Amino acid sequence: MNALIDLSANNAVGDFVRDVLFPNSPALAWAANGLLGVAALLLFPVFLGAPFLIWMERKVCAHMQARLGPMRHGPHGAVQTIADVVKLVFKEIAPPGGVDRLVYLLAPGIPLTASFLVLAVVPWGANLQVADPEQGVFYVVAVGALGLLGFLVGAWASNNKFALLGAMRAGAQMLSYEISLSVLLLLVMLLSGESSLREIVLSQRGTVLDWWVFKAPVVGPLAFVLYLVSSTAELNRGPFDLIEAEQELTAGYQTEYSGMGFSMFYLAEYVNMTIQAALVSTFFLGGFLPPLVGIAPVDAALAAVPGVVWMVAKTLAIVFVYMWFRWSFPRPRVDQLLALEWKTLLPANLAVFALGMLALAMGWILP
Amino acid sequence: MGLMESVPKVLDPIPGGKRLSDAVEYVVNWARSRSIWPLTFGTSCCAIEMMAASMARYDISRFGSEVFRASPRQADLFIVAGTIVDKMAEPLVRLYEQIPGPKWVIAMGSCTVSGGPFYYDNYSVVKGVDRLIPVDVFVPGCPPRPEALLKGLVELQELIRKSHPLRSPEHGRLAADAPVEDRWTKAKQAWEELERIKDEQMAEARAKFAAEHPDYRPPKPARKEKPAFPETPRAARPAPGLPFDEVVAAVRGRFPGLALFGAAPSEAEPDRVPAFEVPCDALAETALWLKEGPLAMDYPVFLTAVDRLDRFELVVRAMNSSTAQQVELRVPVEKRFAEGAAYDPAAKNQKYDAVAPSLCGVWPGMGWHERETWDLMGIRFEGNPDLRRIFLKDDFPGHPLRKDFDMPERVVPRPA
Amino acid sequence: MTETFRQKGTLPPGFLVPVRDGETDEFFVNLGPQHPATHGALRLVVRLDGETVREVVPHMGYIHRGIEYQAERCSALQSILFSDRFDYLTAHMNNHCVCMAIERALGIGVPERGEYVRVIVDELTRVSSHLIFLGSFGTDLGGTTCFLYAFKMREAITQVFDELCGARLTMNFYRPGGSSADVPESFEGSVRNAVKTVREGMKEWNDFLTGNVIFQERTRGVGILSAERAIALGCSGPVLRGSGVEFDVRRKNPYGIYDRFDFDVPVGSVGDVWDRYMVRVEEIEQSLRIVEQALASFPAGPWRSKERVSWRLPEGSWYAEAETAKGTLGVFLEGTGKSDRPWRIKVRSPSFSNLMALDEMCRGGKVADVVACLGSIDPVIPEVDR
Repeated sequence: MNALIDLSANNAVGDFVRDVLFPNSPALAWAANGLLGVAALLLFPVFLGAPFLIWMERKVCAHMQARLGPMRHGPHGAVQTIADVVKLVFKEIAPPGGVDRLVYLLAPGIPLTASFLVLAVVPWGANLQVADPEQGVFYVVAVGALGLLGFLVGAWASNNKFALLGAMRAGAQMLSYEISLSVLLLLVMLLSGESSLREIVLSQRGTVLDWWVFKAPVVGPLAFVLYLVSSTAELNRGPFDLIEAEQELTAGYQTEYSGMGFSMFYLAEYVNMTIQAALVSTFFLGGFLPPLVGIAPVDAALAAVPGVVWMVAKTLAIVFVYMWFRWSFPRPRVDQLLALEWKTLLPANLAVFALGMLALAMGWILP
Repeated sequence: MGLMESVPKVLDPIPGGKRLSDAVEYVVNWARSRSIWPLTFGTSCCAIEMMAASMARYDISRFGSEVFRASPRQADLFIVAGTIVDKMAEPLVRLYEQIPGPKWVIAMGSCTVSGGPFYYDNYSVVKGVDRLIPVDVFVPGCPPRPEALLKGLVELQELIRKSHPLRSPEHGRLAADAPVEDRWTKAKQAWEELERIKDEQMAEARAKFAAEHPDYRPPKPARKEKPAFPETPRAARPAPGLPFDEVVAAVRGRFPGLALFGAAPSEAEPDRVPAFEVPCDALAETALWLKEGPLAMDYPVFLTAVDRLDRFELVVRAMNSSTAQQVELRVPVEKRFAEGAAYDPAAKNQKYDAVAPSLCGVWPGMGWHERETWDLMGIRFEGNPDLRRIFLKDDFPGHPLRKDFDMPERVVPRPA
Repeated sequence: MTETFRQKGTLPPGFLVPVRDGETDEFFVNLGPQHPATHGALRLVVRLDGETVREVVPHMGYIHRGIEYQAERCSALQSILFSDRFDYLTAHMNNHCVCMAIERALGIGVPERGEYVRVIVDELTRVSSHLIFLGSFGTDLGGTTCFLYAFKMREAITQVFDELCGARLTMNFYRPGGSSADVPESFEGSVRNAVKTVREGMKEWNDFLTGNVIFQERTRGVGILSAERAIALGCSGPVLRGSGVEFDVRRKNPYGIYDRFDFDVPVGSVGDVWDRYMVRVEEIEQSLRIVEQALASFPAGPWRSKERVSWRLPEGSWYAEAETAKGTLGVFLEGTGKSDRPWRIKVRSPSFSNLMALDEMCRGGKVADVVACLGSIDPVIPEVDR
């Protein structure tokens, strides 16, 4: 946690708060950091983030489909998702006959819990981070995989063949793509020489060209694109949304869930998406660092913007790309999806990883 | 509904709590009316208009209702789009029961409102979906235009906003508990009442008008002048493939004495296809020859039967897929009555059996046609490996296309 | 939960493939009657070994409306109304087929302009039905956006029909001897507009979906139906042509004035889902060509022949065929010579025969392929059930 108070980084919000509130008390500042982190953890993704993202998804989808999307409730349908959430809270929860009630009711919480746990290590700003373990990357991989358990037991408990098929698909799909993701994370760790998320961001200090997507020629862009594809599959987002493929499995693992159970699965999907997008920007796009261009006055202006704004902007940009994917592509078949991972993506990732090692050894990294 | 019901119980005793629970109700009603997620359900024509309503031109998403859920567990609104028939009734009720409360139903299209065009002379269609589940909004039309469905949705939103879920939870009920009201009769009575009131109120004015204008006759409605159309004779080409006589000669070369059925091609109808009257026991052999002989009739067009009162007549049509040459076979099938019984032209729902050889071995594509003929006509096809009812429920009484079929409890004859 | 049939000892009704010896744990999944992929009220029972399909049994009748029974109790003219409702996507063509059967029975001819109207409207209907196919097929494969683009193009055609007869779906426009009304003044303009919209839209469409790698992966080599089996099962329309059989009623047994137009009959080579899809994409272009040719020589003059006073059907039986978007539609009509009510009316519906091929296409594929195969048959369930 000591690394949190790194005043050398760009951390306008944190600096501002500390300067105003605790000009001479590092201990209080440390506590404030924690509070800010918890606030960021809870407020941003849950109460503002997820409904906003759902609204954004509906608007993006609509505009891609030559429609308008929600328009009537609030300006441009802005309160549409609030209505959805309130409605879902007050909707009847009717477990069907033959379910394992305890597991059925517990399961929707698991993916959400896993997402929140991962959220704890995402650096939203230089000092906007709940915890910064040394092995942040390993933590992300290990805890992130927990969400799968929720899909599996939820589907198993709901006593429905569609749900079961969806859960089996989820298991096969998420475990497979976990490997690809891990290889790419290893690559980033290798290049930066760090395993704490914050340090990985800080290793990209400098201009835009110092971000890992550009800094390592060939390897960086390749890894970035591969990471986007693998994480889409890991997120079970369209076009890889086989676990809830509507045309095949009606609603997949969540077929029997209604009301809050459904909305927690639904929410977890969006929180997960935020996290993956945040991780992409952390690993490849310089996280909370401003996109400096190397021209002094412009850089000064860019650097004055708080890091959290950059982070959120980058995250939203990546989220938009995920949505773009979803509303553009048809869905592959389950065997094709797994073949894509084991026969194409994983070898490609390993090759990129090897190339990265070679680049590091030969010094082909931009200064 | 537990949560909602407990809100007034907890809040009302507190001073000012009634106002608070009213506020809760307002917010909940607001949210529910603004977030109506329909179930993906459509059986026929209306489903296309329902889809059109969610497409770019009409865009139901403006009202927040584009989230069509495939699983009933996540839906709020059941748009019954399309005709509901007897076999569908049970799945429909089950779907309704699977939707968690609060739930609403829009009956879209005249079939679901009252049976629509299928009200009279129909043994299959449910005459109004409100005989199965409670309906909140009726959208008439055949099919209703998407605008009408949107109007129905807005009506439903208003309905929800005016409801009082806290104190009279009218929507948490299961269909099993809810008494199904005969809204049609109620509406009819209400309409008659309105008419009566109107007549009463107007009586004086009418009498006054009649006294003042004793010679008044309502003007005749203007009629559009119809243009005269010319008498056009039917122009047709001869049927494709071999000429009629050659086909007859070829068939008679193999089966001498096979009688022709119906007329030969005439000037008015040069495209008549040769039809032969084949005895029932020779059908399999004839069909096999048609398929494998020189005519190469490899394509099964259709198989059906006609009830000739005292017997059935199978109609089998086959085609040569490269020349489009067609041949029709007419096969009389006798109605076999139990010992001592005979055909009675006046009796309804007579019990008899009819058997014909299956053509599945010759043309596999006749399989389902035979199942259909068994289902609707009651002709058994010996040799069909899967002769089950195809359209009707297994326990449907009788075979509806038999001329002596009668089902007074369901078929409403069209008034003359 | 996954109750195997061996515990019960029998297979569910309709399954004909015998139980295999061995340890495989087969189970049955029920798709429908309410399922997003079944295009209406169809119920498929799929016999699965893991996710591999062993056998598919369709159960029909969930929208069996007894149209044939009801039509026997109505005048033959009224059955035009029912024909709108069995395949509501090709309502004009169904009307056409019923009208042809009645025209044949009563010896009624159609004047030149009436025939041209029928050709133009029929071909637009074919395009509109194929557009719905494209949209729903794309959606079946998970590309929800496809539906929107297909409907966007289709609205231009619906606009033409709206102006023509005031209906968007159930048209009831043709009558024996012509149509119920002349075309409106705006007809030619809006048809040209529709042709233009669809042409441009299809370019966008091919970029969007046809060229997509995932889409090609999902469709190529999936659900193969051989030409012999397609013929033996009585398949027709794009399903038959996708299997490489060049059979089109408009070409083989031209009705109306179809012999006057220059158009190609696209055929597939392998008989997979991709071929059936491409046949329809090609047919859209061919139909637009026919519409353009017909518009170029659209004659003036009477649009229907002399109206009948009596519609009494003579004694005898008649059969008329038309090529609808789904395949060969046939109407078999039998009269008694005593009344205008047909003694028997039977509809030979293309979807009914095409659906028979579903089991054969799906075997050995995955669950997702069932959806693709069913989508590629493009059945309209009310037409299967009638």
